[in-house]
Amino acid sequence: MRGCPADRKGQRPLAPPSVLPDISPARGEITHADDETNLPPCGGDGRQPRGGRRTALLSAVFVSTLSTTAHAADLPRVMSMNVCTDQLVLLLAEPDQIASLSDLSLDPSLSFLHTDAAPYPKNSGRAEEVFLAKPDLVVTGTFSLHNTTSLLETLDFAVEEFAYDQSVDTIPGEIRRMGALIGQDAKAEQIASTYERDLADLRARQCPMKPTAIAYEQNGVVLGEGTLADSVIDAAGLTNLATELGYSAMTPLPLEELVSHQPDIVIVSEPMADAPALADQIAHHPALRALETSRIGAFVPRGAWACGGPFVIEAVRALTELREEIASCDPAR
Amino acid sequence: MLNAILGLACLVLTAVSLLVGPADLDLRSSVSGLFAGGDEAAMIIMQEIRLPRALLALTIGISLGLAGAVLQGLLRNPLAEPGLIGVTSSASFGAVAIFYTGLAGASLYALPAGALAGAALSVVLLLAIAARNGATLTLILAGVALTSLTGALTSLVLNLSPNPFASYEIIFWLLGSLRDRSMSHVWLALPLMALGWLLLAASARALDALSLGEEAASSLGIRLSATRLLVVLGTALAVGAGTAVAGAIGFIGLVVPHLVRPFTDRLPSSLLVPSALGGGALLLAADIAARLVVPTRELNVGVLTALIGAPFFLWLVVRARRELF
Repeated sequence: MRGCPADRKGQRPLAPPSVLPDISPARGEITHADDETNLPPCGGDGRQPRGGRRTALLSAVFVSTLSTTAHAADLPRVMSMNVCTDQLVLLLAEPDQIASLSDLSLDPSLSFLHTDAAPYPKNSGRAEEVFLAKPDLVVTGTFSLHNTTSLLETLDFAVEEFAYDQSVDTIPGEIRRMGALIGQDAKAEQIASTYERDLADLRARQCPMKPTAIAYEQNGVVLGEGTLADSVIDAAGLTNLATELGYSAMTPLPLEELVSHQPDIVIVSEPMADAPALADQIAHHPALRALETSRIGAFVPRGAWACGGPFVIEAVRALTELREEIASCDPAR
Repeated sequence: MLNAILGLACLVLTAVSLLVGPADLDLRSSVSGLFAGGDEAAMIIMQEIRLPRALLALTIGISLGLAGAVLQGLLRNPLAEPGLIGVTSSASFGAVAIFYTGLAGASLYALPAGALAGAALSVVLLLAIAARNGATLTLILAGVALTSLTGALTSLVLNLSPNPFASYEIIFWLLGSLRDRSMSHVWLALPLMALGWLLLAASARALDALSLGEEAASSLGIRLSATRLLVVLGTALAVGAGTAVAGAIGFIGLVVPHLVRPFTDRLPSSLLVPSALGGGALLLAADIAARLVVPTRELNVGVLTALIGAPFFLWLVVRARRELF
């Protein structure tokens, strides 16, 4: 743990109010307030024990409400089998609408809303689980689980697939689509329009000066043209070096090439503290550290651009602020 | 003469290795980047990316070639080789077991510690088996069993890691790679490997005596237990440290001693230096090829050494069939 990650880590639960106005009222206020105040002062790596305690506590609460409530009976019960649809469901659905979420929803590097996902039952994407849960609707991604999806469709389950290819501009549409599917149109409209307004505000801060940035993930994989990260980098007023070099999707970029182009910003991802992998070592390679003119760091809040959702605005915001820091649009400076 | 040629080959291949890479650097900026400085990017690429890679290919190749020659001499078995008898894969498993479970944090120092322990354990185990039953076949079969077991355990540990990248790294630990290594890896592995070379080289005289048989060696004043200890420690250090930073690279220690043997007087001791240099040259060449064969996607160097080594191994088995069975 380098220094005190409190500013970045602590920011996550608190930051989104402008984007996610109704996130805490939507589910268990009690636990939310409780959880926020109990955050350790330095963030640390408290997520595991914290999550565990909360899950135990909350699933008890959740199960009891589930069995007694009749209030959401007319709203469809939804089961999500993909980490990205998990988060849209979490944002939009009433708690007792959620049959289960995918088990990846707890992974902080993929799921921005991983703490909110903790109380709900989890599935591992198998058709049998759908049978047992008998949801009114199954939502999943187009990227994986094709066999499961087609099996469920032949068995007359309602399955809705959400595309994996996304950009900052497709997100409001996805939010509205999910809202319509689960009978939460008004809430979806509110979140989507707030997001659109925030995105337009951030875009308005762009200027002709576009420093180069590159997202250098584990194992030296870069996020090139067509990725969500590429559109985030673009929306933040930066030039994605990976796209400039002709890389599309997720492709490994030799470290030598990165060094020879000397990008202004190198966005690395934060390693998992409790489960090391050699893949994370690339961020500590002395060759990267030797680049004197480049800013290197985990600038994007964890999980903020792994999936399309209103929280992507946090990634745009973080990169916009970084850009303004290194290359001000103000000609006087 | 042989040593001079092989030494020259090592030098030339090191230079070629330094000149090969995805970044388009011309000869002049490469050389000035390596020695003088000049352009910042060229300097970083040469000194922090290509130099450690070439140094690791050379020194790990030396370790594997030398360990192969010594093991073949000690066990009087033409098929002995750190990769085949399970030393490399045990080293991989040791490194994986300590690193991925997070026992030592994300520290790089966990890697050689685990790899050395794994390698040492496997050599002790194999010597115990080989000492009780001197047959060639026993050793090879025990090695095959050990390789499969440690390979499976390596995969298991990596699959169980909650880190999604860990399971991709099965390929690295089973097939080895020198991609994007840094000078910190060199400093981590080189001192340990060098110590291993010294220990292995110190066994040279005993190996010569052993070629006359164990009893004859004892009567010549060779203490077998001391020789075994030297070889165990030397192999563990040389192979373990190399595996810790580059994964399991196989077959170098098998192929090289056989290639150079016809050019020596066939005494185990005179095989050591040529095998070491030959190993360095072969791994450098394999690593250069790994970068050039498919220009857009780098291969794992262990794939190439296995492509050369496995058919060679098969040929050796066929040739030695009568002796073996």
